Parts: sequence; structure tokens; C-alpha cells
Amino acid sequence: MSPTPSEGIARARSWWPGPRLVSVLVGGGAAILVLYPIAYLIQASLSVGDPQARPPEAYGFDNFTGLGRYAHILGNTVQVAAVATVLAVVVGFVMGWILSRTNVPGRAALEQLMAMPYYVTPLMGALAWAIIASPGSGFVNQLWRGMGGEGHVIDINTSWGIAWVMALFEGSVAFVMIGAVMKSMDPSMEEASQVLGAGRTRTMLRITLPLVLPGVLGAAVYVFAEMLGSFSAALVLGLPARFYVVTTAMYQMVSQYPPRFPTAAAMGVSLFAVMFGMVWIYRRIISAGTYVTITGKAFRPRVMDVGSLRWPFLAICLAYLTVAVILPVLTIVYASFQHLTAASPGLRNLTLANYATALSLDAVRSALWNSLLLGLATASIGVLLIGFLSWLIYRSRLPGAGVIEYLLMFPQAVPRLVFAFGMMWAWLVFPLPIYGTLWLLLIAYVTVFLPLGLRTISGVILQIDRALEESAQMCGATWGYRLRTVTMPLLKPGLVAAWLLLFIASVRELGASILLMGPKSKVITPAIVESWFSTSTELAAAMALLQTLAVAVALVIMFAVARRAVQGGGE
Amino acid sequence: MDQASIEVRDLVVRYGAVPAVRGVSFTVGAGEHLTLLGPSGCGKTTTLRAIAGLERPASGEIRIGGSPVFSSSPRVNIPAERRGLSMVFQSYAIWPHMSVFDNVAYGLRVRKRPEAEVTSRVREALDLVQLGDFAARSASKLSGGQQQRVALARAFVFSPSVLLFDEPLSNLDAKLRAEMRVELKELQRRLAITSVYVTHDLEEALAISDRVIVMRDGVIEQVGTPGDIYDRPRNTFVADFVGSANLIRGRRRPDLESAGLVVLETPGGALVHGTAPGRPTGSEALMAVRTVRLRLDRARPAASVNAWTGRVRQRVFQGDFTQYHVDWEGRTLIVRSAAAEALAEGDEVYVSVDPRYCVVLED
Repeated sequence: MSPTPSEGIARARSWWPGPRLVSVLVGGGAAILVLYPIAYLIQASLSVGDPQARPPEAYGFDNFTGLGRYAHILGNTVQVAAVATVLAVVVGFVMGWILSRTNVPGRAALEQLMAMPYYVTPLMGALAWAIIASPGSGFVNQLWRGMGGEGHVIDINTSWGIAWVMALFEGSVAFVMIGAVMKSMDPSMEEASQVLGAGRTRTMLRITLPLVLPGVLGAAVYVFAEMLGSFSAALVLGLPARFYVVTTAMYQMVSQYPPRFPTAAAMGVSLFAVMFGMVWIYRRIISAGTYVTITGKAFRPRVMDVGSLRWPFLAICLAYLTVAVILPVLTIVYASFQHLTAASPGLRNLTLANYATALSLDAVRSALWNSLLLGLATASIGVLLIGFLSWLIYRSRLPGAGVIEYLLMFPQAVPRLVFAFGMMWAWLVFPLPIYGTLWLLLIAYVTVFLPLGLRTISGVILQIDRALEESAQMCGATWGYRLRTVTMPLLKPGLVAAWLLLFIASVRELGASILLMGPKSKVITPAIVESWFSTSTELAAAMALLQTLAVAVALVIMFAVARRAVQGGGE
Repeated sequence: MDQASIEVRDLVVRYGAVPAVRGVSFTVGAGEHLTLLGPSGCGKTTTLRAIAGLERPASGEIRIGGSPVFSSSPRVNIPAERRGLSMVFQSYAIWPHMSVFDNVAYGLRVRKRPEAEVTSRVREALDLVQLGDFAARSASKLSGGQQQRVALARAFVFSPSVLLFDEPLSNLDAKLRAEMRVELKELQRRLAITSVYVTHDLEEALAISDRVIVMRDGVIEQVGTPGDIYDRPRNTFVADFVGSANLIRGRRRPDLESAGLVVLETPGGALVHGTAPGRPTGSEALMAVRTVRLRLDRARPAASVNAWTGRVRQRVFQGDFTQYHVDWEGRTLIVRSAAAEALAEGDEVYVSVDPRYCVVLED
């Protein structure tokens, strides 16, 4: 089978340019997708002439120097983010420790359930907690007045309220990050301390804590950065009290009349710069500070017998799940079946009218349909694109792969609302008439979810031994044949997971959609917010549940299809 | 089956700016079994991967069967899949999503062989590695040794012109490794394919090769038959790496030399007769003597040269042999003896060695 000399030399010239050309094209395409809107955002922030003029009449830094007037908004943002981060990290640390290091009953099940708050989303949480604890009609405050109290006991429409709702959501993110560090710690390090005579407390303070500290710090920075760019909870809870953070202020400036684009852009650029710094710090902590606790070996984490403390620990876990998942979901379900949520419970107040309204309104129906369609398209295109990009970055050894990776992770440092703002400008002047159509939303979704997809798929790619592909090559398989017979089948679980995540994230997207959707291309999440503010609480609740239901049904179908595909491929 | 020779000339491979292989040249004859031996980081695996086409060299030339598969000038770089080679990987690289049969059949299907031929050749290959009954088994449900055999069968089933082995036995436990070593040698003999084998394990290298190349820091230290490498190391690195040796330094005594022998006088005044196979020697020289080649006797041996007295300082029983630390000429000699009769610590003994096994080193 050895190639003859003439054949070998003739073929040698054709080697690589195919894949190389493709990767240069795709890498360049991704760069345009990511950087093009950012360029417009920066351009808009430097516009100091007529704020409505496109392109800007004059350039300068006045918009940035003028941000001093909005110092209170910056203060609000930092306050909300800081409080929520502290809360979320405490939740994450306590849960992480309880669930990975103690013999609390039902650990395995609880660990699975800890992902639930993430799927409840900040928007759902905000809607539910507004119903529970708004100062006027909130259940808790009504109960308080019913018992003879004056005014209200709690007010969710404050920085504390927003931080509370966000912390419940981010708590599960912090748990995943901190729990992973605690699990990957070699228990023999603690055992060594105990063998040398240190007690349990001393071991905890001198060994365990320092070892997990970088992980905790990393989680804190990550959550804080996410919080700075968060939008939906601040919108739902802050707007009624005129309490603004940077993202909601930006939204307000863009949607009011006359819009103040340059100021909003300057805010966006500043926020983006800060978040970029945070992500950079996060990466430094993660890469430099984890010592060697994560050695790649699989440890069985040492489980501590905490005796009768098990039950209080269990109660802590259940309490978190209650306030983060059960209570919000029950509240939304309850509200969706009510004529008037604020009224005292009674059979006469029960109704299906909200669902009937939601399903009969063309606007809602088409928004739901559009969202599902977009979810399907985003997930499918995203998985293909990101799968290919991941392969390029982690496998092809293409020069510049690191740069492509950095580019693709870039949207992570940009709040989706800020990104959408850049896209709005970018595509408004683009010669293709896609502004105000679903196409623009599709492009936006694919772009902002690049980091999410890349993280999911790269996790799987990196676990696949490179030799599995190399051995196919040594068997004589060409690039395409290897991809089809070895690489793709091995990646399948990762691709399916990425598809699901992209689908869910797209259907529930708010920050980018609210700016980019046109009157004829509405999607469901902004529609829910709209009906919350302008129609009724109950209708919004019904719509939120319909959205969740639609996602669930789509997922069940997808799972069934995927399982068939995986089984079929495995034989 | 096809056999192809391999020629590697002035091969340089860099990882970024770091050179992993720094100008290596050697040839492998058609049907020959060559082993690249060396510690980790010596460039042996990189050299193998460059031959395979999985690493792109910075410069040099590689020819397989006479035709260039890589050359820096004129520029040639044939991709791995078109070099007609095959390789067994350290991690086996068995595809977990395929059955044993499909794993082995892969190379044949790539070559679009008719399915009847695929079936018969896969069966044949699986029988050869004693996995005939495992064809339908999912590859993820095999033990390490079985995966190793599947990897072997997959590598030779399509009659490659050259087989490359990248530390194929290093993930097996010691007992299995010893068994597989014998099996591999038997397989090599039956297939008669040109092979290049990479390992850091001396016994493996000695057992299965026609010739061994010892590498260090990206360059070749010595090329030779297993016997050459073992008994006639070229320098201290090879002597050290290729099993244990005693190093003896001394002053040349040309006045006493005869019959091609070299004579050294140690600082303590003992005379050591040895050989210097084609090596330049100065007035001072260093000799290597394998620990197993030294003999310990209670009675004076018959030999006229290389017989001295010493005292057993320490005895370490190691099962297959006993290691003695013997005080000799103000220093310690290490002697490994398989003799059943044990010497006691403190015993006065005669130490002797055949001059053939006392080899002058180049450094």
C-alpha cells in the first residue's frame, strides 16, 4: 500500500489547503460576527454630534466624561452585584460542602436538583417574587396587613430584592463551580493533616479552606461579572420603583423618545470594559491559583460523618430549593389560574381565561411560534458551527487557533443587551434588509451563545484522546472520513447536550431580543415582560408557563429523537 | 506482505521554539525490527510520529520504500493517511463506539475492500491475536490486555508496509507486559513487517529488536544490536540507562597491553583488562562493567587477569538474583549474582570478570 513516488509527490501539494482555507474562512466569519457589532458600539459611544446622526458627525470622549451624572446608577449596579455575589457564593459554598463532603441524606438526588434553579431563570424568579413580595399587593405584605400590620414588611422592588432573586439563580452556578473544586480535592491532603495530629477544625481551617479558596474566589468573580450584565430581574423588579442598573438604564435610554444612543453606547462600552477585566481576572485565578488539587485523577471525595447535624443540613438544602424553585413555580402556576392574583383565594377566583387569552391572541401565538422556530434554528446552526469551530481550535493545530478561541469566548464578557445594541446599529446600515426580521435575531442568538456552546462542546472534545483520531489517520482514513466515522460519533453526546442548552437559552432569551425584535418578529420572552407591565400579572404568568411547557415538549421530542439516533449509531 | 525500508536523514522536529529532535539520521532495513530506546523527553516518540506523519518536522528527509514522504527541500509532506504505514498507540486508541470487529475492519473499509474479504481478513487477524471469539463485543467492554490485542490486529490487518509501535505495552501490568512481549515477538516473526518500536523499557527493547537506537535529548547516543547496546555501551549515559553498570576510572598502561586488550590501572593500583571496540582512548579512560558480568567466588578463580580480592559489605536478596555491595580498591562494586549459594556480609571474596565485558567508554 505504500504510495508510488510520483503519486506521493503529486498528492503532497494538495495536502492541507482544503481544511486550511475552510478554517481561515470560518475563523474570519466568526470574527466578523463577534467584532462587527462591537465596532459599531464603540463608534456610537464616541459620537458627540447630533445623537441621531448615522454615521456620527463628530467624535470625542464627551459621552464617557458625561457618565459622571449617572454615578448613582453605577452605584446601584455594583451594590446589587456585590450583595447577590456574596449571597450566591455563600449558598454555593455551603451547598457545595454539604453535598460533596458530608453524609447528608439523599445526596445524589439533591445534587441533581441543584441544577433546577438555573432552569427557573431570573425572569421567572422575578415575576414570582414580585407576586409574593411587592410592597402593595404582594402575598406576604397582604398577609401582614391582614394580621393588622401597617404598610409593608418586605419590598422586593429594591436593590435587595433584585439581589435576592439573582442570588437564588446564581447560587446554583456558584454551587456547580465550588462543588467541582471540593470534589476534585485529593482527600489524602486532609488525611495527611489529621495523621500529623491536627484536629478536624484545624484541618478545615488550615488545609481545606486554603485549597478551595481559589475556586471560591473564581466563582465569586465569575458570578459578579455575570451580575453586572444581568438585565431581566432588574427590569421587572426595578422599573416600578424607578430603580435602575446600567443595563436597564441603557434600555430606557434606547427605548425612550428621543433615544439617547451615544450615552447608552458609552455606558455599554464602560460596562463591557469592566466585565472584560473581570473575566480576565477570573481566568488568571482559575489558571494560576488552583495549585494541584485538580490532578485529573478520579478521587472518591471523603465523606464526613456529621452525625445528627445531617438533618439541619438537609433542611438547609431543601430550604434553598424551596425559595429558589418550588415557591416561584407554585406562585406562577397559582397566578396563571387566577382572575386577580391579589384577591384572597377562592374557587370563584379560579379561571382558565388567562390561558384562553394567551392562546387566542395572535401576537402571543406568533411570538411563541417564532421563539420555537428561532430556538430550533439557533441550536441546529449553532451546534454545526460551534462543533466545527471547537474541532478547529482544539484539534487542527492551526496557527492562530488560540486567537479564534479568544474571539469566540468574547461575547461572554459582553452583556447581551449591550451586544444587541451594537448589532442594532451594525445591521441597520448593512445592505441586507434583515433589520427587524427573525434573521437578525437568529444571527444575534448564534453570536451571543457562541461561548455557551463552545464550553459545552470543547469539554467533550478535550476528553477525547487525540490518538483516537490519529489511529484512524494511520489506518489511512482521509480528513472527511475520519470526521464522519470517528470524530462525530464520539462527539455525539456533547453535541446533543449543546443543542439542548442552545435551544433552551434561545427560547428564553430576553436582553438581546428586547432590542432587536421588530413589530412583525416578536418573540416570547419580551412579550411576557410586555404583558407584565401593560396587561396583567396573570396573563404574564400564563404566558411564562406556556413558554416553559413548549420548551419541555420540544425537549421531550428532541430527547426521543436523539436517543434513537444515538442507539442507531451505536450498533 | 509488503516490506519497505525507512530512511531518516537529519531530522529536526520543533515544538514551537523547543527542538525535540535535533538532527537524527538512521535507516531501517526492509523487514527489520528497530527500537528507539530512551528516557521520557528524549525525542523517541516525536521521531516515530514524524515518520508516521503525525508531527511535521522542521527539516530533514524521511523516505519510505525509497520514495520521500517528507522532505524540507524539495518540499514534500505526504499526509499520514497516504504513507501506507500503520501504528499501535500507547493508549491503544480503541474506538469505544464500535465493536471489536468494526475497529479491526476500519483500515480495510477505508481501502474499500469487498465486505467478504473484510470479514475473512478480520477473522484471521483476530485469531492471530487470540481474540477470535470477541468480534461482536463492544470495544469499550474489553480489558487492557484485550484492547492491546485489538489495537495490534487493527494495525496489521490491512498489510501496511511498516508498523510503528508507540510504547504499546507501557499501560499493562508487569506480568501481562512480559507475556505480551513474547507474543509480540512471535507476531513480528510471522508478519515479517518492517517495524519501528518506541519504548523506555530496556528489556522490551532487547527482547524484540534486531537493532536498538538509544536516544537522549533529541540526538542518537548509540546504534547497535541488543548485545552491542548491553555489553558494549558507547558512553556513560548508555551504560547507565541500559541497566546497571559499574564504572571504573583509571590510567592507561600501554606497556602491559596485548592482543587488542586495553589495560587500566585504578588509583588503588589494581589492573583491569578490557576492550575498546574501535574507540579512541587517551591516557585516562573510563570502563563500564555490567553488574551481572562480575563473578564472586570464595576460591581463587583460574583466570590470569581481572581477578581481585574484595569484601562483601552488604547483601540484598532480590529473588531472581542477589545484589552484593563489595568493597574493592577503596570503592564499592555492585555485583548481581544468580548463584544459589549465598555469601555472607563480611566474607572475603574473589571478584573476577572476563575482559570482554570491561568496555572502555568514549567519555
